[in-house]
Amino acid sequence: MRWSNVKLILAREIRDQLRDRRTLFMIVVLPLLLYPLLGMSFFQISQFTGQHATQVLVIGARSLPVNPPLIENNRFAANLFNTPDRARLLDLEFASDELPPGETLDDVVRQAREQVEAGTYDAAIYFPADFAERLERFRQASAAQDVAVEDAHEPSAPAANKRSVKALPEIPRPEIIYTTANEQSQIAFAHLFSVLRRWNEAVGRTNLSAAGLPPAAARPFEIQTADLAEESGNAGAGFWARLLPVMLVLWALTGAFYPAVDLCAGEKERGTLETLLSSPARRSEIVLGKLVTIMLFSMTTAILNLVAMGFTGWLVLRHLPPAVGMPSLVSIVWLLVALVPVAALFSALCLAVAVLARSTKEGQYYLMPLMLVCLPLAILPTTPGVELTLGNSLVPVANVVFLLRALLEGDGWTALRFAAPVIGMTLVCCFLAVRWAVDQFNQETVLFRESERLDVVLWLRRLFRERQPTPSVAMALFAGVLILVIKFFFIVMSPVPDTFTVGYLAKSVIVTQLVVIVVPTLLLTFLLTRSPGRTFMLDHASWRPSVALAVLGAIALAVVLHPIVVTVAAGVAKLYPLGDDAQGLGHMLQQIPTPVFLFVLLPLLGVVPAVCEEFAFRGFILSGLRHSGKKWRAIVIAAIFFGLAHFIFQQSLVATMVGVVIGYIAVQSGNLLPCIAFHVVHNSLLVAVSRVAPVMEKLPSLNWILGPTGGELMYSLPVVITCGMLAGMILTWFARLPYQKTPEERLQEAIRRGIEADDEPLATPVA
Amino acid sequence: MIEVEGLTKHYSDLRRGRLVAVDGISFRARPAEIFGLLGPNGAGKTTTLRILSTVLKPTAGRAAINGYDVLTQAAQVRRQIGFMSANTAVYDRMTAWETVEYFGRLHGIEGTALRNRMEAIFDRLQMNDFRDLLGAKMSTGMKQKVSVARSIVHDPPVLIFDEATAGLDVLAARALLKTVAELRDQGKCILYSTHIMREAEKLCDRVAILHRGKLLAEGGLDELRARHGEPDLEELFFQLIQNHDATVEATA
Repeated sequence: MRWSNVKLILAREIRDQLRDRRTLFMIVVLPLLLYPLLGMSFFQISQFTGQHATQVLVIGARSLPVNPPLIENNRFAANLFNTPDRARLLDLEFASDELPPGETLDDVVRQAREQVEAGTYDAAIYFPADFAERLERFRQASAAQDVAVEDAHEPSAPAANKRSVKALPEIPRPEIIYTTANEQSQIAFAHLFSVLRRWNEAVGRTNLSAAGLPPAAARPFEIQTADLAEESGNAGAGFWARLLPVMLVLWALTGAFYPAVDLCAGEKERGTLETLLSSPARRSEIVLGKLVTIMLFSMTTAILNLVAMGFTGWLVLRHLPPAVGMPSLVSIVWLLVALVPVAALFSALCLAVAVLARSTKEGQYYLMPLMLVCLPLAILPTTPGVELTLGNSLVPVANVVFLLRALLEGDGWTALRFAAPVIGMTLVCCFLAVRWAVDQFNQETVLFRESERLDVVLWLRRLFRERQPTPSVAMALFAGVLILVIKFFFIVMSPVPDTFTVGYLAKSVIVTQLVVIVVPTLLLTFLLTRSPGRTFMLDHASWRPSVALAVLGAIALAVVLHPIVVTVAAGVAKLYPLGDDAQGLGHMLQQIPTPVFLFVLLPLLGVVPAVCEEFAFRGFILSGLRHSGKKWRAIVIAAIFFGLAHFIFQQSLVATMVGVVIGYIAVQSGNLLPCIAFHVVHNSLLVAVSRVAPVMEKLPSLNWILGPTGGELMYSLPVVITCGMLAGMILTWFARLPYQKTPEERLQEAIRRGIEADDEPLATPVA
Repeated sequence: MIEVEGLTKHYSDLRRGRLVAVDGISFRARPAEIFGLLGPNGAGKTTTLRILSTVLKPTAGRAAINGYDVLTQAAQVRRQIGFMSANTAVYDRMTAWETVEYFGRLHGIEGTALRNRMEAIFDRLQMNDFRDLLGAKMSTGMKQKVSVARSIVHDPPVLIFDEATAGLDVLAARALLKTVAELRDQGKCILYSTHIMREAEKLCDRVAILHRGKLLAEGGLDELRARHGEPDLEELFFQLIQNHDATVEATA
């Protein structure tokens, strides 16, 4: 990497973009115009909704009592509203009190229902014929007797305190007729409901004073509220915490997309990409230069939008009741900090996607799918009740929005606890996206792609006819994704039992392995490869004298890694506690009789999954991925698939680490048997350790190895350190094995040597 | 010095299956020599030159430029060559001066050295009157000149020109051919691909005739004329292609 070249490319791309009117418009002019326009229309719309009155039909109004009044001057009484002028929001129309000949009141109500349904009125309110009369009788009755409130909470109170309560006459209920199918009707309902509630209270107060009681008797106390956010000047934090992160993600994405398309597809279209590719600039330098350009534009877009929206928002909010204040300065700082990784991720993603496109037009098509993927991820964290957990802290895009939300809500502890996985995952995604983009630039099929008519049948036939001894990288990735998808549906569709039994466990393990792992792997292997033996690293070429030793080495490695895995897993579980399901299984393992455990469960949990998973992940997937020519990348991606297939995130983390070790054993030994041996021993030890607890309690003399620490069985620190050193020694032995490189790996090595030679100041030809 | 040995390039095509664009060709171009790569459209010229410019990877065989392998030492190869083809366009939103300066700096030439070199090139190619014109506003001839300037700004020992005169009028084409000849006289090794026989006759010291990915003939112009008993290069070219097609049909 020559930084001077990156800087040079960056400077050129920025100048190029600044000379492009389209880009400038999208990034600078649009937000500056858009938000004031939005603000203006907001005003227009709010005026409209604020003043639009709803039409209400009132039936049986003439017989309403005069005191306290419900209706004054053909409107509801002004004192029944929050502010008197809101009475104008309800336009009343009164049904005639005289019933048309031959019709009953029921007919009138039925007609009102039809009219509300048809939209002639937004709502109707119906007071039964004898409503006023009964109300008056109620008032007289309650005034005549001493009304007492019986205290249900004091059944032991002296009987003398209890006074008999004569039943008061019942009042028929007024009815509000509305429909939730219509928004205007809902608004009318809300108004009517609150008016009636207030009037109801007013009637109650009048009755109380008629009975000689103070009006406050009906409402002995008022509730006072204290909003800490308001006091600390943090008002509206919740609102901004939900809005701003999503907006930030959207701005960063759109800000990255258009320059990315212009920088890649646009250059292809204009024919300047080949000029650049035949210059001494390296692919990584070109990608980095373009990436930083896109990132700058993405960040500029987001910042300009933030400023423009903030300014417009400030202008608008000044004219509104102070329900939502401006976001605090601290939250702005956090937004800017979070913008860097968000912009980096989207820029890399857009760059990689944009390289695929042959023309800017084709490039624009890719915005929609990208948005469709990113939008739900950005919006998910704003769903009420969804909180940051370890699981969703590993979901790209969503995790940053979650973290930002926590920060903006002032929840520093949550943010701190999950900062590591969020930042880690974002960095991993950035790195992968950048690598993907560099890879795309190295692929001549991507750079010089010609349009070809798609014919799925022909394509599948060719895939089968031209299959190679081992799967291709794409096939390996497909297998990984396929396994995950099947596993997902399998988990969603299979019910979780209340208690674990041996029978259930046996059935579940065998069916899962068969459906999720074995069938897809075998099917893909026999359909897409010529040599299953080579694919599974079990053919004659895989048998070398070192294999037997490698099996022993793998077993030893599994044994010495066991305490480390247990310690790491416990650490992970402490940070991110496990659910009840996983703990239930542990309980069950302890209660099963020893012979059943030894001869049924241990093989079932220790051996079956180990063998099946090795065929899939180190067999098919790793063999395919090694055609990428990058040994470590193949190992890590296979391990990630292996980890993800464990589905419980705490397990996935540990499984991915173990997967890297097994992948390394696979590559170095060139045979699947050591991998299976490692996996079987590793799984069996993990299953067995849960059984050992009762035994260890009886043998305190052995607690220096494995003892209860904080309620759990843990290996002591000296044991873990010793095992770590032994594991290092065994891995060094594996590293010395002469591993068999794939042709792609040999080529990549030659290319790497070429680049290294080029990095030296005085390069001499190597003929 | 360009060495090509058994160079092969396959493309995979959904309908036609494996497409052989270049089929095991071998040739050598030496310094102070213009080596012409002649062939009709679709002969595999552009694919060959793209492999030499490291933009495409060969399926089999080997190619080296001044001893650097195009596959494993791509960066070194790109520093040895100046590559200009119909597919290497000029930036629309950059002026002639900026474009040439940009590529000069990518090659690691800076400051006054670059400036002096560029002034010399701009004088020689008579580019001073459109020095500050944006690429989008240039005529085809101007663009072609900028491309030449861009490909020689770092003074590379090997130059690769693919259909360099395509779209140029007679005057501009003559001027370009003169420049190429001057570059040869400076000792550059030049690979010049064209399908215009007149150009090849005037310019090339040696030629190779490429058809359907196969090398039909290779040698000095006089040598080829003598070998095939045909004084006119165009006739010779036509005969070779016809004979080849006839044999292919006969075997099929």
